[in-house]
Amino acid sequence: MAIKWTIQGLLIYTALAMYVLAFVARLFRVRRAGQALYFLGFAVAGVAVVYRWWHVWHVPMQNLFEVFLCLGVLIWPISLLCRRRLGVGGVAGDMVIAAIVLFPAGLIFSAEPQQLPPALQSGLFGPHVFVYMLAYIFMAKASVQAAAQLAGKEFGEGFAETEEGTYRMVCAGFPLLTLGLVLGSVWGQQAWGDWWGWDPKELWSLASWLVYVGYLHWRYMQGRRYPRVNSVWVVVGMAVILVTLLWVNLSRLFEGLHSYAR
Amino acid sequence: MATKRPSKTKVRRFLLWVGLAAVVLLAVLSVYGAFVGAERAEGIFNSLPLAVYWVGFSVLLGVSFWVFPRFTDRPGAASIHLGCVFVLLGGMVGSQWGHDLQRVVLGTEKIRRGRMVIYEGASENRVYPASGEAKELGFSLRLKDFRMEHYEPGVLQIESRDGAGWRVAAEAGTEYELGGEYGKVRVLRKFENFKLVLEGDERVAVDAPGPDSNPAVEVELIGPDGSSSVKYVFERFRGHAGAGERFALSYFRMVRDYVSEIEVVADPCLQHAGAGGEVVASKDIEVNHPLHWGGYRFYQSSYDDKEGKFTVLQVVSDTGLAVVWFGYALLCLGVFVQMWGKLAKPQKTNFTVTEAKWRLSGQSRDC
Ligand code: HEM
Repeated sequence: MAIKWTIQGLLIYTALAMYVLAFVARLFRVRRAGQALYFLGFAVAGVAVVYRWWHVWHVPMQNLFEVFLCLGVLIWPISLLCRRRLGVGGVAGDMVIAAIVLFPAGLIFSAEPQQLPPALQSGLFGPHVFVYMLAYIFMAKASVQAAAQLAGKEFGEGFAETEEGTYRMVCAGFPLLTLGLVLGSVWGQQAWGDWWGWDPKELWSLASWLVYVGYLHWRYMQGRRYPRVNSVWVVVGMAVILVTLLWVNLSRLFEGLHSYAR
Repeated sequence: MATKRPSKTKVRRFLLWVGLAAVVLLAVLSVYGAFVGAERAEGIFNSLPLAVYWVGFSVLLGVSFWVFPRFTDRPGAASIHLGCVFVLLGGMVGSQWGHDLQRVVLGTEKIRRGRMVIYEGASENRVYPASGEAKELGFSLRLKDFRMEHYEPGVLQIESRDGAGWRVAAEAGTEYELGGEYGKVRVLRKFENFKLVLEGDERVAVDAPGPDSNPAVEVELIGPDGSSSVKYVFERFRGHAGAGERFALSYFRMVRDYVSEIEVVADPCLQHAGAGGEVVASKDIEVNHPLHWGGYRFYQSSYDDKEGKFTVLQVVSDTGLAVVWFGYALLCLGVFVQMWGKLAKPQKTNFTVTEAKWRLSGQSRDC
């Protein structure tokens, strides 16, 4: 536990509390208050990111603390986009995701500011991480829908029903996941001379991409004949993403080129 | 007796299953590779069985264009699969196997990967591969200067014997209260190249800028009772508390960049240090900014960490790279067209088992 008695910490805890309250309001069907709190949480988390940016003086995506902080901001606009444009609901789930990602930023990861090592001083650093963050949020939304479906819950709410919603989220996230992988590869080539270095982090990200490739082909072949199997693919994909994002960074098991990102 | 040919649907179904199995196998191998570490993983993915796998996978992708006519009216999906073919081809052409094959078939003599050590002021054209003999390039690289740039100010780290620790900006004039029984610390001076010189009978610390470098800070430790002592803390030597000393002091500066100022000298006869030749290009090679010349890329890789007199460049052949980039472009374009294009269409919720059968039969009913 690393409680942050700083302005940065205060902003994160406020946003976190808003997201939790928004979810509670939603549970008690106080929809408007829930939406308002959700938006407020987003606004405060946004201020927290800007504050961090100003504090460290580089794009705040260098370590897990900064990445989780940014994830806590991106979820609201994606939620809105999904409802308005993609016909996918699950806002209550989004509030939970937002709280889950801000929790480790506020209470687990160290916020010690770091200077950018030479390898991270690249024009591809920001786009690569940003695109991955967007992809991860879509995939997280997909897996919440998939898990709900496996648990026998429907997310209808006048939007796409759950299995279809899951598929649409994967369709939204997969191109971003692909772009993230490709940008990382191009960057690796610029920094280390290898567009593919067989580093553990690269291999985990390839594995997560391939799980979704598998899902897309499976669903293409089987349609909704086995909806539960479809959902299992997506949940497995998210599990592999989590390993890519966390385990490789946290454990000493996979020492590699990306270890600086701890 | 005429044998019955399998129907197109069966072939398609079979190929789709094989494709899915190939994708899952690769995912499993990737996870395995992540556990064994980059070096062993590279060996595994470049082994003979895997070489067979890569070729088989590329063939499978290629064959799918012929077996699934649906690709013709799905430019996005076609672009994705074609992109994958190019990436795999580029990877194979650029691999060690690819280089060896090109040597035999085309007679090209290119090293796939190697290292170059260049001293300041000298030219070099020899590249040392990980194993085997050095190869001479058709041009030389001259190192005008190698330098390391640091983030300023550095950090003075203070550790007390009882385990308390502080980090202070190592900037002349900084004064920091360590609190209570620890007293305070003051940074007096910074040195780029610390030297002791004799002035009369006394040895005096001076900053002697020049090619050498011995970064240090002069620090005053002030006890709670007002007693004071002056210490020199060196970047090159990690601090430890000697007998009777209350603190271990260390001085760090984080590296911002490594820069090799390089000139490309176009004289194939030139071999060794110091010789002249026409300079045809120049570049500051930095991390993330390699030099691309003569079919190779030159990367900042290492340096002389004792005196900073030479740089080590990693030299990588660019064979196959353009093919990979082209494949990436197709792949990225394809996924956005195919997947986001689908999202832009009005929502469809009645995808059924019948639809799956339609797809397998290869007929073009839109989905
Ligand atoms: C790493 C390799 C591969 C990748 C990244 C990939 C990716 C994709 C993607 C993203 C789709 C679109 C799915 C959808 O729209 O729902 C797709 C469809 C398809 N894939 Fe692959 N695939 C790969 C390998 C293969 C292989 C080996 C085969 C051959 C059997 C194959 C055959 C197909 C077919 C037939 C479709 C349907 C195209 C359509 O009509 O929409 N794929 N693939």
